[in-house]
Amino acid sequence: MRLPDFIRTTTFRWTLVVSGAFALCILLMFGFVYWQTAAYMTGRVDSTLARDADAIARDAPEHWQETIDERLRQDPRRIRLAGLFGVDGARIIGNLEGLPDQLVVDSAPQTVSVVRIDNRGHEAQTVRAVARRLRTGEILVLGRNVDELSEIATIVERALVMGLVPALGLGLIAGVFLSLRAQNRVEAVNRRVRRIVAGELRERLPTQGLNDPFDQLAVIVNGMLDEIETLIHGIAGVGDDIAHELRTPLTRVRVGLERGRANAQTLQELQTVADQAIGGLDQSLAIITALLRIAEIEQSRRLEGFSDVALADVVREVGDLYEPIAEDKHIAFKVATESETTVRGDRDLLFEAVANLVDNAVKFTPEGGSVELTLIRLAGETVVRVRDSGPGIGAGERDIIARRFYRSDKSRHTSGLGLGLSLVTAIVKLHGFRFAISSGPGCVAEIFCARTHS
Amino acid sequence: MARVLLIEDDRETATEVMAELVDRGFEVDWAATGIEGLDKARSGEPNVMIVDRLLPGMDGLTIIEALRKGDVRTPVLVLSALGAIDDRVRGLRMGGDDYLTKPFAIVELVARIEALLRRPLDSRETTLRVGPLELDLLTRTAKRADRPIDLLPREFRLLEYMMRRKDQLLTRAMLFEEVWNYKFVPQTNLVDVHMGRLRHKVDKPNELPMIHNVRGAGFILRAPA
Repeated sequence: MRLPDFIRTTTFRWTLVVSGAFALCILLMFGFVYWQTAAYMTGRVDSTLARDADAIARDAPEHWQETIDERLRQDPRRIRLAGLFGVDGARIIGNLEGLPDQLVVDSAPQTVSVVRIDNRGHEAQTVRAVARRLRTGEILVLGRNVDELSEIATIVERALVMGLVPALGLGLIAGVFLSLRAQNRVEAVNRRVRRIVAGELRERLPTQGLNDPFDQLAVIVNGMLDEIETLIHGIAGVGDDIAHELRTPLTRVRVGLERGRANAQTLQELQTVADQAIGGLDQSLAIITALLRIAEIEQSRRLEGFSDVALADVVREVGDLYEPIAEDKHIAFKVATESETTVRGDRDLLFEAVANLVDNAVKFTPEGGSVELTLIRLAGETVVRVRDSGPGIGAGERDIIARRFYRSDKSRHTSGLGLGLSLVTAIVKLHGFRFAISSGPGCVAEIFCARTHS
Repeated sequence: MARVLLIEDDRETATEVMAELVDRGFEVDWAATGIEGLDKARSGEPNVMIVDRLLPGMDGLTIIEALRKGDVRTPVLVLSALGAIDDRVRGLRMGGDDYLTKPFAIVELVARIEALLRRPLDSRETTLRVGPLELDLLTRTAKRADRPIDLLPREFRLLEYMMRRKDQLLTRAMLFEEVWNYKFVPQTNLVDVHMGRLRHKVDKPNELPMIHNVRGAGFILRAPA
């Protein structure tokens, strides 16, 4: 026979174990209570018996019979036993049929079987009893019925049954309930996960607002799913962007070629058409190359290829490369290095990142403006800063400016692929640096480099 | 006549490249597979080879490695559609002499083949001369005939490279790679601006021009005729 699924759950097994342990505890506890109670009561009975026997023994012999009679008379519950036996062991007075065999004279009280005789007849009983040899040789026996002890045992037993059985039952029910619940939650998670695997990326694991470990786990996994969804949408977005950005120049090429083929009258006209087509293709290829570069850098994990790079040299070389271009455009280009820090990095990539920022700055700054390329120390960090007097960027654009293909309306008239800042971001990220772009008057782009050593 | 061995599996690309090279006066042999290419490289003794990076059955780099082990020193231009930086570095480390990413402009290919065929001027020379132009590598000075030319360090580097490769078409990408030692393609007309500066200093209005701009292709330094 196959057990139901919930029985095989860990929760259920644990519940069984805990219930078992609980039952054992209760048993031990009740046993202890019974044992303590019995010992206490027996102790009290014994001391009373011994005291009374000693008191009678000290009394004058003529009072003995009277005292015993009195003692038996004042016993409405019929729990007292007493007897006076002759030197030969014959009964003189009392409600005991004979001197109990096992009872040792002049020792501590003990449990013995006796036969009680009174007006109701003979009755065998188990009692606590003590025997004293009196001055005159007779034997005094005092006893007390301890049936109460077995009554207590019965009560304890009953309490045990009444407490333990429901407790165990509740434990089992709780176990079944908890394991079914856990199983249901696992099943619910399973269903969602299957949907996610099937491509429903918006699906999330269920939470019950209990903040239990299960919920906490679900929250963590959901956070992970959020990130994955964003990434996948990002990739899909990039795909759309690529399609759009490539189709536009390719469409131009196609239309141009078609029209040229139909309308060109001279070789020269045809060559012009071909040149335009080549230009369009080159732009498409440049986009592909740039995208592959970004993807390559973003996926690159090969930090072991890093070496110590003197940032000041990189900055000076970029300055050297762009100085004539700035001059041609009548832009005041200032290059200053205030720090000689070296960082761990890829020299070519860092050069490319800085060159891209300067390229942008020079491109977007109108004639007569200024561009500053500086390497500074700022609050313990080395910062490559490119500041220009161009049109700057709007506050709303700051977050999206590094997006692939994003081109501000202000930059529509200048040439470019809209990939420069994506590339910079990828390079900066690979190095574990920080990139920030802000707009005061003009635009300030900064790469914050974690310093390794000076 | 220089013999070129082209190892390229794409028939159309191979046909176009061969046609262009033949037009330019090269003798071209074509191999469509790596094994055939290796045979022809060993038996045909080409002056220069063009090897596609990804060939059916055999990696282009494996061919180069095999040749270099067999002590064949023929210069090789590696063609690749992979284009990644690391790939380029690997291609050069495995014994390739130059690396060109697909798709390429045919002039770029020809310029690089020419560059591989013509060894640059002896690097032990301390003075480079092209026509009236003289470059002293020790004193870092330049003059054209008797006129001293005042050059910035970057201009000196550019002119030195061009003088070592006189009469050769140097594309923008080649200049950027070799003179500035950077592998990325600048978006602005950086090389043109730098070349404009240099030209302004080398070719005065009353002198015959030595630095020639080949439209859409690159630059050539030539002694005035």
